[in-house]
Amino acid sequence: MASLIARFGWNIFWLGRYLERAEALARILDINETYAREKSEGPDWARVLELYSDEDRFKKSHGKADAASVVNFYILDRSNPSSIAYAVAEARQNARSVRHLISTEMWTHLNMFHNSLSQLTQRDLRLNNLSRVCTQIKQDCQTFEGIAEGTFFRGEAWCFYQLGKYLERADQTTRLLDMGYDRITDSDAEGRDSIHWSVLLRSVAGYHAFRSLYPVGSKPADIASFLMYDREFPRAVALCVERVTDSLNELESRHGHTRSKSVEDARRGLAFTLETGLGQRVTARRLHKFIDDLQVSLGDVSNEIGKAYLTKI
Amino acid sequence: MAGYDQGEYFCEMFGRNGLSHTRKIREQLANMDSATLRRRSKDAERELFNLGITFTVYTDRDAIDRILPFDVIPRVLSSKDWEQINSGIQQRVAALNLFLKDVYNDGKVFRDGIIPEELVKDNKHYRPEMEGFVPPKGTYVHICGTDLVRDEKGKLLVLEDNARIPSGVSYVIENRHLMMRAFPDLAEGISLAEVDDYGRQLMKALTAVAPQGVSNPNVAILSPGVYNSAYFEHVFLAREMGGPLVEGRDLVVEKDRVFMRTTRGLEEVHVIYRRVDDEFLDPKVFLPTSMLGVPGLFEAYRKGNVTLANAVGTGVADDKAVYAYLPRIIKYFLDEDPIIENVPTNICREPDGLAKTLDNLDKLVTKPVGESGGVGVVVGPRASKRELADLRAKLKANPDNFISQPMVNLSVSPTLIGGKVEPRHVDLRPFALTGTSTWVLPGGLSRVAMKRGSLIVNSSQGGGSKDTWVVG
Repeated sequence: MASLIARFGWNIFWLGRYLERAEALARILDINETYAREKSEGPDWARVLELYSDEDRFKKSHGKADAASVVNFYILDRSNPSSIAYAVAEARQNARSVRHLISTEMWTHLNMFHNSLSQLTQRDLRLNNLSRVCTQIKQDCQTFEGIAEGTFFRGEAWCFYQLGKYLERADQTTRLLDMGYDRITDSDAEGRDSIHWSVLLRSVAGYHAFRSLYPVGSKPADIASFLMYDREFPRAVALCVERVTDSLNELESRHGHTRSKSVEDARRGLAFTLETGLGQRVTARRLHKFIDDLQVSLGDVSNEIGKAYLTKI
Repeated sequence: MAGYDQGEYFCEMFGRNGLSHTRKIREQLANMDSATLRRRSKDAERELFNLGITFTVYTDRDAIDRILPFDVIPRVLSSKDWEQINSGIQQRVAALNLFLKDVYNDGKVFRDGIIPEELVKDNKHYRPEMEGFVPPKGTYVHICGTDLVRDEKGKLLVLEDNARIPSGVSYVIENRHLMMRAFPDLAEGISLAEVDDYGRQLMKALTAVAPQGVSNPNVAILSPGVYNSAYFEHVFLAREMGGPLVEGRDLVVEKDRVFMRTTRGLEEVHVIYRRVDDEFLDPKVFLPTSMLGVPGLFEAYRKGNVTLANAVGTGVADDKAVYAYLPRIIKYFLDEDPIIENVPTNICREPDGLAKTLDNLDKLVTKPVGESGGVGVVVGPRASKRELADLRAKLKANPDNFISQPMVNLSVSPTLIGGKVEPRHVDLRPFALTGTSTWVLPGGLSRVAMKRGSLIVNSSQGGGSKDTWVVG
């Protein structure tokens, strides 16, 4: 069998990334809305913009950050590169390019997902309906993931799909944690804002797991450490990094690639940042800085993989 | 089927008065009420859309994926029909290949006065770059799609040859899959020729024409990319053949050898099934502005390091003017009469043909030879006096540029239209693969004009397709 065309490796990598991104976005919008319902002052939609550093871009096109416009911006707005519509359209476009390398079932599901999303209107996004829409999007992403697990040929392409998926997942977990960093006042104290933290945990399906480890309390430091380091938790950054390492090893051991020094350097850099970054006392500033460093390291790994394997043009 | 009226046309299901090979299908169709037909037809269309079996229509703003309308009532061919089609297509492809080899090499066909040399060499699809070069096994047309029609008496005729990049084969196979899921009961007890073998046969044919000494060739499909309207078909072919699907930017030529850029670096390619037109293949030789091609590809081809399918320059064989000479070409190269005849064609560059055309202008269809897609075609019976006068003047000024043919009343096939079964005109495009020998996919693509009375079956103009059954 001929080797994978480099460009297709890139498409597969981004197929994994974009779908993971769409799922994370749906989770974040859902949590923000749910969180708002449990508080009296109403939802803080500007926070989501902050999370993705989209404030300026949003202001230019939409002005005031109210619920309807932010939700529209992140779900339906195809011209917004951080929207779900954009992510799914890009995922589909990438899948279309590698349609011959993925299973018919993967393609059909993604195609249906894309079609149903493009039929959504602003009416469907009214707040009392938002959670349902987000749940549907989440489920469509998960269904795709399940189909991929069950039908995607385990060649080189699978490795690149995994790499894209786990790098994106790690990145999204750091962003989510960043959403709460400024609520931390004192690492030893109970979360000042315990609703925030429990909703955050629920949004990554981590609440019960966290509770079983920490039966009482919701110290921000514990939550941060859980989301970063708990190797049993599927969205923990450490577990994602472990999976990235596995896939890189597999490229070597099963698919005959020689190890790329630049990729290996970037991967070590990432592991090092992760291990040494958080420190004993978690403060808001320190956490934020740590998350920034991690995001840069994740970006390095992604870029080096692209250069080493996927852009031979 | 109650109330179905085929009019004055030959019907693919009923013939003139009942066809024995369709009896069982007719009975089974009669047992389905129209609500069932409609529901299953809807299911089938939804499935096409979900599968993304679409062609892309570009507007100013959007790229819209449309499905090719699929009609659930199959078009049925008898084994006797198929015998004629199969042998007729094989004969035609053999003649086309011998003709092309001669045209680009010895030119005997010109010297012996079979076809005027300038008619071929002045053609815009003639590629002088191919002169003195014979591709492996002398095969130029590896993939051929021949458009057939049936006249009102039920006689099969060749309407045109597609010897460059014929498309549509993916629909043949997907239509069958769809049909078997939507109507598993319709084919019950009927022995139906399979269509699933196409990918394997294609790989076999392309492997057979690999450069000398290459026993296990890398066969790639070269596509213009995801924005091409036939991209779905390119993907389909890659899947069926199990070969890589590449674009020009994935290929590079070094020392007259062609390589693809893989995750491991460069890997040699030996055979390319290219779905890119001649002009765009190599900016060094053809259109210098082409972004779809590969610089140096043509030289690698001429050196024999890579095989292109179809060969460069096959466009002279499927031209309208050359079509008119095909019966003579078949006779000349094979010493046989055509097994499937052409639509009778008057060649206006010949005095006899011109006279016949001028005398019957209001009854004939007159076509300029250099054009395609229906440009400049005058349908005599439907033309105004003024149009006919215009045409007469053009014909007299430049007779070489025209051919004329009688109107062919295309056969009809029962088609589900808004819950009712109505007759609609159909044609047939069988696909032939040639490596060392020729294999024809049983059946072919039946295209159907969905508008009442329309003879235009092209998908770009609202045509649809049907599953085509060859029954034993």
